Amino acid sequence: MATSFKTFDPTKDSVVSRNLLHEAIPITGTIVSGTYSDNNIKNYSHGMFQSVYDYPFLSSSANHIFDLTAGYSAGSEVSGTSATHVQNSKKINIYNQMAQVLAGFNAQGAVREFDEDGDLTGGTKIEEAYFINVTRLLSKDEIKKGSFTLTLGVNADYTNPFAQTINITDASGSNGFKVNSPAGEYGILFAKNGTGTPMSAHGTNGTAVGLLYYQAGVAVLSSSAFDSLLSVPVSMSRTEGVASHPSASVNAILSSSAISGNCDALRHRTENLLFNNTIELNSTVYFCRANNTDFNYSANPTYLSSSKMVVKTDSTDEPVTYVTAVGLYSADNELLAVAKLSEPLKKTPATEFTARVRLDY
Amino acid sequence: MGFLDNSGDIILDAVLTDLGRKRLAEGNGNFNISKFAFGDDEIDYGLYDKNNPSGSAYFDINILQTPVLEAMTNNMSSMKSRLISYAENDLLYLPVIVPATTIGGSGYYSGLSSYIVLVDEETVNSLTTTNNSLDAGLLNGYRPDLGTNMIRTDQGLNTDEISDQVAISSKLLETQYFVQIDNRFASLMPNGGNTSLSPSSIDDDNIATYIVTLNSATRSGANIVSNIAPGAASDIDGPRGTRTEMKLASTLNLKTSTSLFNQLGTNGTTAITSGTQTLAAANYKFIDSTLRVSGVSTGYTVDIAVRFVKKTS
Repeated sequence: MATSFKTFDPTKDSVVSRNLLHEAIPITGTIVSGTYSDNNIKNYSHGMFQSVYDYPFLSSSANHIFDLTAGYSAGSEVSGTSATHVQNSKKINIYNQMAQVLAGFNAQGAVREFDEDGDLTGGTKIEEAYFINVTRLLSKDEIKKGSFTLTLGVNADYTNPFAQTINITDASGSNGFKVNSPAGEYGILFAKNGTGTPMSAHGTNGTAVGLLYYQAGVAVLSSSAFDSLLSVPVSMSRTEGVASHPSASVNAILSSSAISGNCDALRHRTENLLFNNTIELNSTVYFCRANNTDFNYSANPTYLSSSKMVVKTDSTDEPVTYVTAVGLYSADNELLAVAKLSEPLKKTPATEFTARVRLDY
Repeated sequence: MGFLDNSGDIILDAVLTDLGRKRLAEGNGNFNISKFAFGDDEIDYGLYDKNNPSGSAYFDINILQTPVLEAMTNNMSSMKSRLISYAENDLLYLPVIVPATTIGGSGYYSGLSSYIVLVDEETVNSLTTTNNSLDAGLLNGYRPDLGTNMIRTDQGLNTDEISDQVAISSKLLETQYFVQIDNRFASLMPNGGNTSLSPSSIDDDNIATYIVTLNSATRSGANIVSNIAPGAASDIDGPRGTRTEMKLASTLNLKTSTSLFNQLGTNGTTAITSGTQTLAAANYKFIDSTLRVSGVSTGYTVDIAVRFVKKTS
């Protein structure tokens, strides 16, 4: 009896597998800070955050790569209600929103502040922070632990920021991440000297300067990266140093500039951002086995001329077919998936092969 | 839909079909892959040159160089020709399915390689006064139980190198068919019956699939598939296999509305005649569609052109 379908043996013809794929995501600082004359930077009328694209965002080719925002806790020293405190409530709202999602609530139901070392029982809190929210397009399922590097220009002179740099990494991420966040796993960000020695000293891993939430794809960067971490605090807006113009210090700018202005200042000092993402790939592999007696004839109309096979002269000749596709069917013959071979594959009674079709979910 | 890169190792480009995605989204366990088939849609076996003077290594050189298209997600557009497994390697002839248009009652409409389905009573009455007598190729979609015209396919070895008196080998006999038709236009009805069949499935493109089996009576007691006796009248030249005989019942939507004709159809271009009656070109609209008949085991497929006609003025 002829047949064109072959039933899978579920015990040996299919297997479910899980793989983690990683992609390297390098974001050069020039994209962030000027290549497109800021046409790739989108600010919103609400002023709560700023979006960064990899191309002018009015183009359909543009991809949204990350968002920037800044905020501080209500108890921060830069918080205040005077006229010089620009967008004070919005900055507090941003901080609280991010803290609520990423750090959660304490036993009394109050929003926890970000903790510098991840030990929620005490220690230094990050009260003033920049937030880098990487889009799912780039981070996919999560940022790969131990792969994050952010290079910031921390030269005191705002107009020449990259004369000195620091590298901020999740140095302990691959084996020292934390799991006490409602948003999944996170690691501590550490800063070390890059170009020059802007930091007078730091430990082997560096000095804690923020948090990286792997599944959420959010980096929380303490404002200390531009201030107390360094030998000379940097100016976030002027050529002259902070010593002569304290109003240009990071905390002063956090208070007196709008969120978009703070995002601009951070972008101006971003030299590079590099990380690997992770894609969790669940696959079912179907082994489509063509044994020597299988699939040696075709129902292709060109296979026959007056019902006679064109590939044979005599009945003793070997039949031959050429496979270009594999169809996967339901029990009631519905075509659910199809796979195409890149070139025709010859099949005769003298050959056998197994086509391995992988469906990813 | 580009070609696949064939400059290196053989790769497989796999996609879920639109129907597969629909079944997956339904989330009720209907996405259950249980079997597979191999296809060779791109292959033109006419390029197989078994007389190539350079030797057998060159017989299929042109076939092996055939570029292969990327996978299409439309389930109706892929796997149109499947590879077949037979236990024997010494077969020289394989069965085909042909529209049986030379036998009484199942000819095409004159001048068209197509059947015409008259979808409503007014259209039928414009071409016959009795509902029973229509010219060849004109099918009464309003009352398929009336009249003798039908669509018929014959299966067998279509060669004059084997006598038509020889019984076809049982392994080449097709006993079950898939019949597919756009469910928006018509349903399948057996010749001699008065009740439409229920499709076994309807896909995301509204293509209804009916599975009809040899000597399996329908609800109205009529068979669609029957054996053809050796030597009996047939469009098959050699040993006969099985025959399908069916009619099409137009859907309620086609009977009572012109919306699909306005959306998918065309104004008539030539007058349709039956006996002394004429339906002028200006007075009807039509939709061209296809009825597909495939052998379940032998895999052979034939597409039959069907035109649905509705009188509009």
